[in-house]
Amino acid sequence: MAQPFPYTYYSCDCCDSDATAPRAERTSQLPPADDEDARTFDPRSPRANYSLYPLEHLLYCEDCQQIRCPRCVIEETLNWYCPSCLFEVPSSVIKTDGNRCTRNCYNCPVCTSPMTVNSLEDPAKPSPSGGPFILSCPYCHWSTVEIGITLEKHTGITSQLARTANGGKYIPSQKERDKERERRLQLSHRKSRDVLSGSDDSPTVDIDTDPSSMSHEDIFSNLSAFYKSQIAAQTPSYPFSPGHDINFSSPVAYSRLMTIYSPTTSKKRWQEKPAVMRESSGPLEGLIEHDSAADNLAIERLKKEGWASTLTPSQKLAQVSKPDTRFDDSLRPIPALLCTKRGKRCRDCRHILSKPESKITSTRYKIKLVAFNHIPRLSIRALASSPSSTSTTPAPTPTTPSTSTSTSTQAFNYNALKPGIPIPFLLHLLNPLFDPIRVTLATPKFTSGRVQSQVTILCPQFEVGANTDVWDDALTGSALGSVKKGGGPSGGAGGGGGSGGGGELEAGKIWEKGRNWTTVVVEVVPGFLRGIPGFGGSGRSPAATTSHGHGTGNDDDAEELEDAEDEHDAVLEIPVFVRIEYETDAQAEDRSLVDPRGGKGEKVKREEAFWTVVGVGRIQDV
Amino acid sequence: MSTQTPSRPDPARRTSTLQKRQSMLPKPSSIVLDPSVLIAQHAQLTGTHPITIGPNAILHPHCKVSSAFAPVVLGEGVLIYERARAGVGFGDTGGGSGSGDESRRSSVASSGGARDSLRVDGTVLGKNVVVESAAVVEAAEVGEGSVIEAQAVLGRGCVVGKFCTIGASCVLPPNTSIPDYTVVYGGGERRIDKTLQSRPEILQARVLMHTRQIDMFKKLVPNNVAKWST
Repeated sequence: MAQPFPYTYYSCDCCDSDATAPRAERTSQLPPADDEDARTFDPRSPRANYSLYPLEHLLYCEDCQQIRCPRCVIEETLNWYCPSCLFEVPSSVIKTDGNRCTRNCYNCPVCTSPMTVNSLEDPAKPSPSGGPFILSCPYCHWSTVEIGITLEKHTGITSQLARTANGGKYIPSQKERDKERERRLQLSHRKSRDVLSGSDDSPTVDIDTDPSSMSHEDIFSNLSAFYKSQIAAQTPSYPFSPGHDINFSSPVAYSRLMTIYSPTTSKKRWQEKPAVMRESSGPLEGLIEHDSAADNLAIERLKKEGWASTLTPSQKLAQVSKPDTRFDDSLRPIPALLCTKRGKRCRDCRHILSKPESKITSTRYKIKLVAFNHIPRLSIRALASSPSSTSTTPAPTPTTPSTSTSTSTQAFNYNALKPGIPIPFLLHLLNPLFDPIRVTLATPKFTSGRVQSQVTILCPQFEVGANTDVWDDALTGSALGSVKKGGGPSGGAGGGGGSGGGGELEAGKIWEKGRNWTTVVVEVVPGFLRGIPGFGGSGRSPAATTSHGHGTGNDDDAEELEDAEDEHDAVLEIPVFVRIEYETDAQAEDRSLVDPRGGKGEKVKREEAFWTVVGVGRIQDV
Repeated sequence: MSTQTPSRPDPARRTSTLQKRQSMLPKPSSIVLDPSVLIAQHAQLTGTHPITIGPNAILHPHCKVSSAFAPVVLGEGVLIYERARAGVGFGDTGGGSGSGDESRRSSVASSGGARDSLRVDGTVLGKNVVVESAAVVEAAEVGEGSVIEAQAVLGRGCVVGKFCTIGASCVLPPNTSIPDYTVVYGGGERRIDKTLQSRPEILQARVLMHTRQIDMFKKLVPNNVAKWST
């Protein structure tokens, strides 16, 4: 467990409600509601891992009046921004340029730290612009000098880098490349026609067609241009093509095509014509053949320069345009990835649960419905180091719960609970609501799993005061402040097994009560790790200790297996069902539902119920 | 060595507060200081072997230079920041605190035998070396213009080349040798700084910055060199 003992996890039943519904149908006639009620939450079931969250991770939907965990909310992107320059990027730009910062933000391709623009100005002869600039990494000292790139301006780095290849060569823009490709294709056509005539006009602009030097984008644009031209050539009678620039990148065109080719619409016309398309056949058409010479070159280079000049897999993968790069001279600075601000909505009613302010530099939220403002906070701690001392001398009445926790945690070791001995714990409920709540707690008598521990909540029904102003306490006097045990009005309906406790831990009485919190005693008898299931729970019986011999009378392999299981079983987690009832002022929509003529002071009765899992500690092996 | 051993306080007392320790430890047998050296208040020079500090070196407050086991030479323009430590014998470096302490204690107890295991002929920091805050340099040699960043640790007998950078919190085990222009970063990654190697103008700019920094420190930090130049 990541969290130290004791801890409390809240269960969000979103996954169970999904899962139980089909199961109920299958097994049939049992209505799902009954199933839900009858079932106690099992913290040991594998599914429990997916539904338990600390209270801080949960949101609360006011409309559904339910806890919302990270799995039952929908996230939506509100806006995009660059984490480095904190500029917002409009979503239209995201669609065209991708999720990278297009300003001056770059990360180091070697160590991923943000790069800075430095001047290479010679102090002896300063240039008017401030001299050539480089991008350099302040951490690992990599800079664009190593790939032979210097920049003229310190702004607009992206556009400058787009024009400059490694080594300082000029990269033609996309349009220029397209034009050049067209020209070359025509040239090659003409050549193939005029082979016999022998006319040889050399290309005027020398653009590198060496496959190894072509960038990924080059090859892709060549390939897509080739196939576009193929399609255009094959389907001259295509109804939409003459007017529209049909390309397959647009989803609309694609869906149109799909309807045409789908088997339901029997377009014989299309089926009669088998489309014979030529595949691409050269670098100009986007085909790059495997070149063993390049491999040999790479091997030679490895021999000469060693591993130091190669890249790690993560460095390679970080390269956006060239995933097949091998050596450190082909690195490019990595444009900063954009971040998003996201809002969260309830999956059921689509109401917004959390929405940050749209301003990038602000960390505040416009809407934030977090669960700990709506759900009572449960916390558990050991009553004291030894129950006998508390029974003889009354425990000091703490004015705040925090002081008492600090004293008791020092004395009590949650990682070594002694099996078979009743340990009193204090279950503390803090009410964040502005109305007093009536709480009903329930827990199975024995915890699930191999090690059965007996759990008894001495006072399962009680009230918790409203979360009123802190100063109300002081103003109304200390009489209502913190009431020592027995102050609660609750009846002793459920404290079935309270007999095991000391004389002072009375069943049916709350332990302590404050302004908006109440503490009740939970008595836990940790089970024996090596006992017969069902026997270990009854801690007081000496039979449990003798059962030790029966349980471990197997061979050594089983013993080892058991040890591993013990580690898991030793964790004592108690499922606690919490049901709260309260009356609150009716909200506008509730009033209209309940009573359209409802007045202002109308009260509405509300009820909430959820499972929690309380991690009490680890049972000591005896 | 044996004559100096009794004058050293016993190990229990040496772990007392800094101020006390400073007063109790013997001053180095010879401190050679250039007149242009800046030693701030609370900087400590301890040990029994000679300490030599070149011109324009800056020692910030609370830095320590120890020649307890071997002489220390700080070159021209060396910058040592707060709480940085230079010199062999700052036990918690290299192979962990346990072994360091042990070697120190054993050398106190039986100086003859321990001397063999500590075959170190001192710590030499070259020209314009920068040792940043809380770094520990026990290295045998640090070349010109190298930077030891904050909380980095150079183990005993390390040899660091020229214009290297040892990144923050990087630890070099004892007897590591680092070639020129190396950058050690990210907890042990190494690469050659080709930028610095190929562009002398960047190197010049760095040296220029360093000298300007030294000038600024001389204006800002009060000099307490009189305490040490006897």
